[in-house]
Amino acid sequence: MLGAAAMTNSIPEIRDVDLMFVIGSNTTEAHPIIGMELKRARRRGAKLIVADPRRIWLADHADVFLQLRPGTDVWLVNAMAQCVVQAGLVDDRFIREHTEGWEALRAHLAKFDLAQAEKITGVPAGAIREAALLYARTRKAGIYYTLGITEHTHGTDNVFALANLVLMTGHLGLRSAGMNPLRGQNNVQGATDAGASPIYYSGYQPVLDAAVQEKFSKAWGAAMPATQGKNLNVMMHGIETGEMKAMYIMGEDILLSEPDANVLEDGLKKLEFLVCQDIFLNLTTRYANVVFPGAAFAEKEGVFTNTDRRVQRVRKAVEPPGEARADWQILCDFARACGYPMPRYGSPADIYDEMAALSPRFAGISHKRLDATPRGLQWPCTGPDHPGTEFLHKDGVAHGKGKFQVVDFRPSSELPDADYPLVLTTGRVLYHYNAATQTRRDAGTTAKVPENFVEVHPDDAARLGVKDGEHVRVVSRRGGVKAKLWLSGRVQKGCVWMPLHFAEEAANKLTVSAGDAITGTAEYKVCAVSLVPAKTAAK
Amino acid sequence: MSDAFNLIVDGKPVAATAGETVLQAARRAGIEIPTLCTDERLAPAGACRACLVEVNGQRRLQPSCAWQAAPGQEIKTHASSPRVKRHQDTLVSMYMADHKLDGEGLPAETPNGNDLRAWALKCETLALPRVEAPRVARPNDVNPYIKYSPELCILCGRCTRYCDEVEGVNAITLTNRGSRTTIGTAGMRGLLETSCELCGGCVDTCPTGAMIEKKAPALNRAAVNKVRTTCNYCGVGCQMDLNVEGGRLVKVTSPEPGTTHNDGNLCIKGRFAYDFVHHKERLTRPLVRGADGKLHEASWEHALKAAAEGLLAVKKRHGAANIGFISSSRCTGEENFLMGKLARAVFGINNVHQCAAT
Ligand code: SF4
Ligand code: SF4
Ligand code: FES
Repeated sequence: MLGAAAMTNSIPEIRDVDLMFVIGSNTTEAHPIIGMELKRARRRGAKLIVADPRRIWLADHADVFLQLRPGTDVWLVNAMAQCVVQAGLVDDRFIREHTEGWEALRAHLAKFDLAQAEKITGVPAGAIREAALLYARTRKAGIYYTLGITEHTHGTDNVFALANLVLMTGHLGLRSAGMNPLRGQNNVQGATDAGASPIYYSGYQPVLDAAVQEKFSKAWGAAMPATQGKNLNVMMHGIETGEMKAMYIMGEDILLSEPDANVLEDGLKKLEFLVCQDIFLNLTTRYANVVFPGAAFAEKEGVFTNTDRRVQRVRKAVEPPGEARADWQILCDFARACGYPMPRYGSPADIYDEMAALSPRFAGISHKRLDATPRGLQWPCTGPDHPGTEFLHKDGVAHGKGKFQVVDFRPSSELPDADYPLVLTTGRVLYHYNAATQTRRDAGTTAKVPENFVEVHPDDAARLGVKDGEHVRVVSRRGGVKAKLWLSGRVQKGCVWMPLHFAEEAANKLTVSAGDAITGTAEYKVCAVSLVPAKTAAK
Repeated sequence: MSDAFNLIVDGKPVAATAGETVLQAARRAGIEIPTLCTDERLAPAGACRACLVEVNGQRRLQPSCAWQAAPGQEIKTHASSPRVKRHQDTLVSMYMADHKLDGEGLPAETPNGNDLRAWALKCETLALPRVEAPRVARPNDVNPYIKYSPELCILCGRCTRYCDEVEGVNAITLTNRGSRTTIGTAGMRGLLETSCELCGGCVDTCPTGAMIEKKAPALNRAAVNKVRTTCNYCGVGCQMDLNVEGGRLVKVTSPEPGTTHNDGNLCIKGRFAYDFVHHKERLTRPLVRGADGKLHEASWEHALKAAAEGLLAVKKRHGAANIGFISSSRCTGEENFLMGKLARAVFGINNVHQCAAT
């Protein structure tokens, strides 16, 4: 699917972009250096459209800011697409040559009229239209999106709707024009690239492809499984229901990072065996049978792949503490302890070579080549002379034709009601990183944002009788957490926002674990809550 | 390329392209021109006057960092122009008159170097009377990362321009007038109380070490070894240099602008949030749950055996279908590849996924 696997453009291409459409991405906080490039592009005259339920920092720089209601992205984007159709701005030639399914989509879009869009999204019709026309009329237009768009039960729909907009305007396959998911974490791209996926081997080779199975069976001297595996969300549910019997968890604190933590915690107690591998003890290791001490990034060799498909080296600068070992060594040692003859890799360079030999997409990449390339190599890079790929879909849409997908609006799985009248969305702040196991061990990041907080619109606060700086309990159907109240003009009325970095008051105790139908990505973004002043809340 | 041409620097032809400055063309040709206020990422400010050159036909010396190169233009640097040389000797001496000096009367060395010192070493400096500059710092600034020493500041404005032009934040600005001019904030508040994002770009661009990292105040530059790596926080994947001294990570610096995709920039997390690496709570030995239900330190041999037996026993009891492997975007590509191999080749199951599928 277009826009699912990776950014089609590169970060340096932002220097030449003429229009940026940033949707559901708090870029300046979650991807600071990309945010900086976006601001610089704006400063030199590129147009900026920002769509977000919250008035994020970047919105202060926007030409058009679309403050939509949480979870109404599909309506917004489809209404924009309909404006493009009505203004006669579709790229007929691109549609003819590179896509299929246009007529069906065109007919479907007719339902998304502006007046209705304004009602549902809360964004003035004029602003939607202005954004649509600006986007359609600008050739070098890049879309940037992240969790805000994918972490919904209908996250895949959001991506489809955006892809439709890209394909119908032909804003693809050109320097600075394309569709760019900004991956949240340092190596989230690289982890999937390397085959940490229930449906793909390394290099996006399907696990159901018999020829691929055969290739890996031979290389690894073991029969490969014939069926797809369970995805993260299914495994998490399996832990909760008791269906999963044992887990091996490397480098993650699932109790902090996964939604609906209370139920998950009960499930973890039921596991027959749990192995954790990490650099610190965390909430999840409390239930482990064995904990292996791993190495931090500064203590090992390897590669990370960033959000623009750039493979870059990680190098060892210091020794791991005590008897801690590099994670690749632990995995090899463990495989051998299980009786599997894991090769004696001299270093991760050898492991990379094994992966490259099995994965056409990275066949041209090696540590040796990376060491000679300070800017890294962007995949696809299919041979030793291949220079890497700056932007995708240069000669039309890769892998055949781009398919238009008809997507309908589906409301979020939990909406506000009388008991839980506010919509909670969660996200990141600049000063912390995910579970903050690293950033909260640093004085400065902690000085900037020392404790959990919840952003509340002044009108809602007045109605509930809570004041700025007061401590409140944020309560959902699944649990409650404490937070300091920040009055904020950045959230809209009826909405509250909370960061997800604080273990002792983890926002994910509140969130819904219903997953996206296709990717299994959990819905961190929208759930219904109420606020109770801490003094009246029964603790 | 039609817009490529030559200009003449110190009598020799130097290639340039339209839109380039004399400084850019000269530097590429390996010609040395001192600069203090220039940074490739910033618009030329022409503020420090260190880079002045003679331009044929111009009565005054001109700043090469801002002067556009033109075909056939004749330029003289201090190498061939006594006038430029005299200008430099005087200028560097004037800078030194209110700069912090060391025992030998040279601009003081700092943990981040000092370009004024490096330049002074190449000049014939004059003994000018000391000037008392009543510049103030922000003594109440308790931010944990950035220290400003006005006695090392040459007011080149790189930090303030970086904060504005690159970071887009405008937290710091040139404040006060005349000899009192200093780098201030609104109301001279501490950085934590301003719009500052603690990106450290001001530290990185400062040429004299007037802004330094508080966490590394007394670094011995000669003993530091730099290791280029990739940031372990967000998906931007900034390139950074881990500064290692005595086996410890003591500082993070950014590569030269223009050499990597992050163009010499880092954010607060990449530049400053590395204390976790040597944190006292790091796990240093394997842990195995004992009969008492608690985790106990164990040898690797014992822990590996216990883990392998535990998982293999579950496989024997229930099959592998309900064993799961969670891998991490925090780990390297190779480690994620091995996690897939572990699930597939050792346990015969595709139940492997990274935790953050975003
Ligand atoms: S740290 Fe960054 S944001 Fe703060 S003053 Fe320096 S350049 Fe500006
Ligand atoms: S330095 Fe900041 S922007 Fe760059 S990769 Fe690290 S976390 Fe991301
Ligand atoms: S470097 Fe040219 S004036 Fe400062």
